Amino acid sequence: MAEPTEKEVLLDPLLNNNPITLQILGLCSALAVTTNMQTSVVMAIAVTAVTACSGAIVSLIRNYIPNSIRIIVQMTVIASLVIVVDQFLQAFAFSLSQKLSVFVGLIITNCIVMGRAEAFAMKNSPMMSFMDGVGNGLGYSLVLLLVGFFRELFGAGKLFGVTILQPVTEGGWYVTNGMMLISPSAFFLIGFLVWLNRTLRPSQVETE
Amino acid sequence: MQRDSIQNTFRVAILLCLACSIMVSVMAVGLRSTQQMKKEEFRQQNILKAAGLWEEGKDAESLFKQYITPVVLDFETDKSTDRYEPGDKEVDPRYATRSPELSHLVDGSEDTGVDIASIRARETYTTIYEVRKDGKLETLVLPIRGYGLWSTLWGFIAIDFSNASGGLDSLHVKGLTYYQHAETPGLGGEVDNDLWKAKWPGKQIYSEGGEVRLEVAKSAATDYQVDALAGATLTSNGVSNMLQYWLGQHGFGPYIKSLLPGK
Repeated sequence: MAEPTEKEVLLDPLLNNNPITLQILGLCSALAVTTNMQTSVVMAIAVTAVTACSGAIVSLIRNYIPNSIRIIVQMTVIASLVIVVDQFLQAFAFSLSQKLSVFVGLIITNCIVMGRAEAFAMKNSPMMSFMDGVGNGLGYSLVLLLVGFFRELFGAGKLFGVTILQPVTEGGWYVTNGMMLISPSAFFLIGFLVWLNRTLRPSQVETE
Repeated sequence: MQRDSIQNTFRVAILLCLACSIMVSVMAVGLRSTQQMKKEEFRQQNILKAAGLWEEGKDAESLFKQYITPVVLDFETDKSTDRYEPGDKEVDPRYATRSPELSHLVDGSEDTGVDIASIRARETYTTIYEVRKDGKLETLVLPIRGYGLWSTLWGFIAIDFSNASGGLDSLHVKGLTYYQHAETPGLGGEVDNDLWKAKWPGKQIYSEGGEVRLEVAKSAATDYQVDALAGATLTSNGVSNMLQYWLGQHGFGPYIKSLLPGK
């Protein structure tokens, strides 16, 4: 197999090899934080930053990591980066970090971060691993933002807290869909995205 | 290269932990002052929310200055005092409860049932917040805290004095907020859910005899009860207990009584 180029590594995870719709990873946080656009954006940035930086750091020390403790080494790097991101959010986006509560800390357990460190960063150069992390982070972000968009628009009639469809409760005409604000709706939306992706790209359907 | 040798395993593990801990602590120390500032702003915002004065998008600090007067209360005499200024570290409960001169231990034995909020020590001086209109007391915002399931919950309760007459039973809740806790997200953590907090305003606090009747109940039936949080019995009990303590005779009860008109 030919060596992937930086561009491929960066853009492939957006549609061709999306971590959520193809690999079905990182669903937990995708359900929890997508009730509105604001938290989706912050979560997307945080996960992208952590995936990219942890990929680069793990790749930098990949030739020194003893095989027996490689998973815990990756976890330590990821956990430290997540704490840094959490501290940053508490200092510069306090109310948002309150809304995201545990989910920032739970980036540690996001399979995408760990998966990229183990599958890609352990075998590739720091620059490529960084790009791979950004790419996968963006793939995750894309799904998060799409889901957040539909949930906030149909659930609350708003986008980024700005009213788009005037809800009945505020004297408008739009009857809000309460189901959109609870987690199951994210399952439906992600399922729909998976279906759409596989219909448009039949190559992604697993052979029986 | 002896990458998988025992020595190298230990060396990598130790160096990695060292590097990571330095990175994390440098960040934590470097950002502390900004975080503290944001925390204070958030606290002020919660005081305003409890008092029903918060306006979305406004600056908490200027709204706070505009409406709220902090007052230092002396628990020994149940009167306001000017011995300390609001904002002094002596009136910060976290600081005061560690110093024997500024606090006293709450009777923790089960028989007396005084320390139902499990706070162990109570500060002697504390800061309370008044909202006055034309000199008349409208709302009194009191700091409350107590143990839930995992953590101490820190919050504010605002008491509506606008309809106050001679009796304690004329007082109603204006609002309740929590600004710091570590309860289970989605269950006990819902104490800071706006929908649940919206159930509080208008509830009655005291019975005619002056006992604290306000509580969280499984299915609220009376004017004194608020629906408990689903799946969070211990956090809900914690909320009831801290209200019982702080609004009762060992907490702000005597001071609240002294503020009633005609007393």
